[in-house]
Amino acid sequence: MKNLILLGLFLFALGSVFSQEDTLRAPQNFTEIIIQGQSKESKDKTAEQLQESTDKLMSTIPAVTLIKRGNFALEPTIRGLNAGQITTTIDGMQMFGACTDRMDPISSYIEPTNLEKIQLNTSPNAEQTGSTVGGGINFSLMKAQLNAPKKMSGKLGAGYQTNANNIQTLGTFQYSTKRWALLVNGIYRKADNYFAADRREILFSQFEKWNAGANLVVALDDHNRISLDYIQDEGYDIGYPALTMDVAFAKAYISAFTHTYKNKSRKLRSIESKFYFNYIDHAMDDTKRPAEMVPMHMDMPGTSRTFGMYSKAKYVVNPNHMLNFQINAFQNDLHAEMTMYPDTGSEMYMLTIPDGQRRTYGLTVSDAWLINYKLKATFGGRIEMNQSDITTEFGRQTLTSFYVGEAAQSRFSGNVFAQMNYKLSKKVWFYGGLNYAQRPPSLQEVYGFYLFNRLDNHDYLGNPDIENESSISGNLGANLKYEKFAISMEVFANSFSNYIIGIVLPEYSNMTIGADGVKQFDNIESALLVGGELTLKWDPIEVLTVQSVNSYTYGTDEVGGYLPYIPPFKSVNFIKYHYKGWGLRLEYVGALAQNNVSTARYGEGTTPAFNLLNVAVQKRFDLKNDKSLHAEFGIDNIFDTPYYEHLDVLKIQRQGLNFVFRTTFVF
Amino acid sequence: MKKIFLLSLMSAFLFVACKKDKDETEESNPGVTNPSSEYKLIEKDTTDNDLIVELYAENETLEMGYTPVYVKVENLNGDLVENAMVSFMPMMDMGMMQHTTPTVQPIYNSTSGYYEGVIVFVMSSSQGAWDIEIMVDGEAATMDLNVLGAPAGEKHVGSYVGTNGDSYFVSIVKPLDWSVGMNDVSFMVHKRESMMSFPVVEGLTIAMDPQMTSMGHGSPNNISPVSVGDGFYEGEVNFTMTGDWRLNLDLIDAGDTIVNANIDVLF
Repeated sequence: MKNLILLGLFLFALGSVFSQEDTLRAPQNFTEIIIQGQSKESKDKTAEQLQESTDKLMSTIPAVTLIKRGNFALEPTIRGLNAGQITTTIDGMQMFGACTDRMDPISSYIEPTNLEKIQLNTSPNAEQTGSTVGGGINFSLMKAQLNAPKKMSGKLGAGYQTNANNIQTLGTFQYSTKRWALLVNGIYRKADNYFAADRREILFSQFEKWNAGANLVVALDDHNRISLDYIQDEGYDIGYPALTMDVAFAKAYISAFTHTYKNKSRKLRSIESKFYFNYIDHAMDDTKRPAEMVPMHMDMPGTSRTFGMYSKAKYVVNPNHMLNFQINAFQNDLHAEMTMYPDTGSEMYMLTIPDGQRRTYGLTVSDAWLINYKLKATFGGRIEMNQSDITTEFGRQTLTSFYVGEAAQSRFSGNVFAQMNYKLSKKVWFYGGLNYAQRPPSLQEVYGFYLFNRLDNHDYLGNPDIENESSISGNLGANLKYEKFAISMEVFANSFSNYIIGIVLPEYSNMTIGADGVKQFDNIESALLVGGELTLKWDPIEVLTVQSVNSYTYGTDEVGGYLPYIPPFKSVNFIKYHYKGWGLRLEYVGALAQNNVSTARYGEGTTPAFNLLNVAVQKRFDLKNDKSLHAEFGIDNIFDTPYYEHLDVLKIQRQGLNFVFRTTFVF
Repeated sequence: MKKIFLLSLMSAFLFVACKKDKDETEESNPGVTNPSSEYKLIEKDTTDNDLIVELYAENETLEMGYTPVYVKVENLNGDLVENAMVSFMPMMDMGMMQHTTPTVQPIYNSTSGYYEGVIVFVMSSSQGAWDIEIMVDGEAATMDLNVLGAPAGEKHVGSYVGTNGDSYFVSIVKPLDWSVGMNDVSFMVHKRESMMSFPVVEGLTIAMDPQMTSMGHGSPNNISPVSVGDGFYEGEVNFTMTGDWRLNLDLIDAGDTIVNANIDVLF
């Protein structure tokens, strides 16, 4: 049920002495949440995590906090950074939400059934396929396994949650031969309005969606494989209680062709090349809201189309050096429009993202260098060119409303990074890193036209003259791993110049009815984010596991005021007893109050502390022929505590008492 | 397989390229200046000195407001008569009284062959009977005119009594060819001296404030029209979206606002 997630954070600590394989391993500041592992031990966990939502899985990763606008499509932030400041990719593929109100972070188009793992990077490094000042999240797609132990295997699951009358059914199926393998998966989820504490119904929080994916892997020879991916995800009638509109439909079509070459006996270890195309079709809807809540009916559809490629190569120069190369290129086209229907007078039409287009070309080079058996350095850099333009005459005309000059622009951005790992002993590691990074403003930040932000109740204008946001960041960490006890801690500081934020334009009148004014994306001189994460894991006796994940971020702007979207101290803890197929887990989730807000400047209010208790019982029934049945019963928010988190837009209360029933059949 | 994918990528690029081309052709064909052959004949008459006088306009019907008109003069052989002395005097007969309306007197355009002028119709034919007397080399051609009101929801001319007691007429210069974003916009201001004289007013200061009336918001970066002579005022208006826009125009003379005018457009 809830996060029985054995954090991949500890995985790197398994090796005791550096070996050549260490050069191949990702650097620090890298966390993986395995969702569908290939190993046998992960079966319980997989059965459990397949039933969770992508949002729930992300919420348990240290350093990740979610912006909530409804009971669906929560938007990830990493250490106080969000949207264009981080990269969010699917299997390395760039994809951009189509909604102008940020209703559709791309994580909303991916389900755990699609995923092998979620990878988090908290600083710029060679893993990402874009410029970033704050790392990124990659949703690694599940691949069909060649030559699997069973020719046919799969999982079938069903779940029910009482609170929102939430049902889900899912299935995955794999057919595996020596030369080729096919994996298909699907999920259907539907929920009514959820209830906060004291059975207070949260109107317009319903959703319905289905998602289907397929992956075909063909081994051409011992070293070459091709892989085809297709995912289709369609959501309907999705409520956003924190926003003025809901969503009629949100559809995504994701496709990829991948070629991988691997040869362990050659210096050129591997090449992975992917060509991809994805398309999002999104339409907002206000027709379900009561008339008194809708000052004017509007249609707000948007589309996002991205195609591109990347190619990554690993080259082992000698046992102490391994080079990573990556080239990538992609093009994204965004279109968002709005048609307004007043009670009297003519309908009005405008573009809110005036057909913006961006082409990005990037090159990343890095080296993993084993200096000696205790010290390892990973360093490199990325250079990226971005060409942005507006592709239609209507769009170019729209830009003249607030900008005199050419729509087309080219920018260069990139980063340099260096990370050192020092192994004091077999059980104690230290690491530290230093990065300089730049990121281009997003298309919304360049060309956006009266984009409404519910958080500060302002319309936002883009700014073609905006400078790249840049940052110098550093991190220090330590990992201690003993037989029964493990600690992982990291502190970071991220110092920005030209931090991008909305600045009030006092002379401008807002377009959105009821908004407080107009802001324009602009650079402020500086901003600072500091914080850290601490993860503890303790197995006092064999059948008992205790884990605690803690995150904290503190952010200030150029005048010392507090930045928005900064989560307070949060702690996710559980104690689990497991014996003979039984599992009993008690989970405590808590956050301190967030009083570090700048209400006048950014519109954020304070948020009180909260404490939650969840409990779950699990049982695995082992059946014949390596089949098994997993059953689960859980109670979320046992004490029906009223609460919301700091990044919840409009401070709408989260779910109260909830009973969860799940069962998964693994074959 | 790889090739197929590359091909599909390339075709996607081509698709984008094609789309762009299309936009550019649209751009190069703005349709602002109608070729003279597309002027629509409104009325014709023959003078006593046997000249055929034809009155043309941009459209087949005349509307209230600033209206460019084109006078064509031919002799009985059908030859164009160039550089004649042409003037016109539109008249509104309201029964109890008669008055003319603001005009820009015609000037011969040797390229098009038309005598080109402007009539600002301040009333429609529902308020009385319009006719026009066109004088060509001292002889008159007379025609009745039918002037429609502005399209529903629009208002292209307004008459106002100023704080100084004078009557002012504010009209938006046509043709109107709006797009979302910044647009050139010009206005004419006239006043009534007598029933037969509506001279231009120059040198006023105009403060312009466009408003989207059905939503209650304005737009930024407008440039209020400034007097450029001959009664014309030129500025720039920013339409952030399509729909009903009201252009509020304050006419300011020597620091005093004398008229609060407004023009309504829809596109």
